[in-house]
Amino acid sequence: MTSLQNKVTELFENGTINLLIGFKEAIHKLPVPCFIDNVSQVEQLIFTPSCKGNLSVYLHKTEVKQAKKVGILANLATLRAIVQLVSENQLGDIEKTVITLDAKGELVVFATMDELEAYVQANFPDLSEEDKKLLDQLNAMSRTERWQYWTEQFTACVKCYACRAVCPMCYCSSCTVEGNQPQWIKVSSQTTGNLEWHTMRAMHLGGRCINCGECGRICPVGIPVHMLTVKMNQDIEAEFGAKTGFSVKNGYALNSFKPGDKEQFIK
Amino acid sequence: MDFEPKIVAFVCNWCTYAGADLAGTSRTKYATNVSIIRFPCTGRIDFMLLMKAFENGADGIIVSGCHPNDCHYTSGNFHARRRWIVFRSLLDFMGFDTDRITFSWVSAAEGTKWAGLVNEVTEKIREKGPFTEFKKLDYSILEKIENDVVTE
Repeated sequence: MTSLQNKVTELFENGTINLLIGFKEAIHKLPVPCFIDNVSQVEQLIFTPSCKGNLSVYLHKTEVKQAKKVGILANLATLRAIVQLVSENQLGDIEKTVITLDAKGELVVFATMDELEAYVQANFPDLSEEDKKLLDQLNAMSRTERWQYWTEQFTACVKCYACRAVCPMCYCSSCTVEGNQPQWIKVSSQTTGNLEWHTMRAMHLGGRCINCGECGRICPVGIPVHMLTVKMNQDIEAEFGAKTGFSVKNGYALNSFKPGDKEQFIK
Repeated sequence: MDFEPKIVAFVCNWCTYAGADLAGTSRTKYATNVSIIRFPCTGRIDFMLLMKAFENGADGIIVSGCHPNDCHYTSGNFHARRRWIVFRSLLDFMGFDTDRITFSWVSAAEGTKWAGLVNEVTEKIREKGPFTEFKKLDYSILEKIENDVVTE
């Protein structure tokens, strides 16, 4: 058994956790999420740097909350998501044990939120090279070129809402797109409606998104949807100095204000 | 026929609406292109309302409320301002023509400022022409698909 499996067995045996959200190997050796509620299933667990999924998306599901004591395998993005979720008072009713791999590949188990927060702050990542490149590319374009780029991307959108399903910050029990009184966003996949959906998604996540990039990674038609929130977060950090997923005392930037907020465009 | 722009103004009840009222009662003449929609506060003006206005045929939008520190509800316009800052930047990042949305502070005493603002925005939008970029999106895609079928 690997050190991870030993650790998880120990956690189950001393009653620290009732449920573990982790990764197992599926077809083509791809890591997929798995839920383990007893020691006999521990053998399938894996945790490697290729486990890129953000499992914190499951933490606020009712079925998981019922387990009360939940363990979770977390990469750095997941850790940031947990910090952000705690700052939004979303994880108050479960006891969580968070396990991560540090840069040397050693297991780290966090006993308290303070430890987790300190670890996140010490290892806060920068944007990935790929995202930086795309962002620079988009910023260098003229307005009409950007319009062309994004409308072409949004035309491909099939409105599967995978970007919403995979997002740990999209936890509203009812979403605007499901409401039909009034029908804010067209149900069918049309470019205008798709554009509205992605604008709305980005606006609702601005200042809350933790830049894990899962939405862009999961998109079946390959739209880099995460760039919208990346851009918004950059603005929010520059304008209001708020950094998401950094501290459990993070306020929501768009829910607060300073009388001295600066802008150039209001006449 | 000359193009007459359709301007939709989202204004707050306490300052800009009263300012527009003052412009009316003072018999100030200004462009008739504007349709005013009254809100309790600028904090209530959701970005989706602006998107829907464009979708339903607006060529330009004015969003206006009380000056900072003058809000009837103390902080509604401060919250709105933060949201506008990020919303405007997001639209610009998506290539949306942000010149078509004009943000302004107009107080209840500024009837002339309101009239001037409406005239200015109407002129600006008249020069820019109708906002087809957004409305024709769905149609241009249909055309594209039709062309694809033909070439195949």
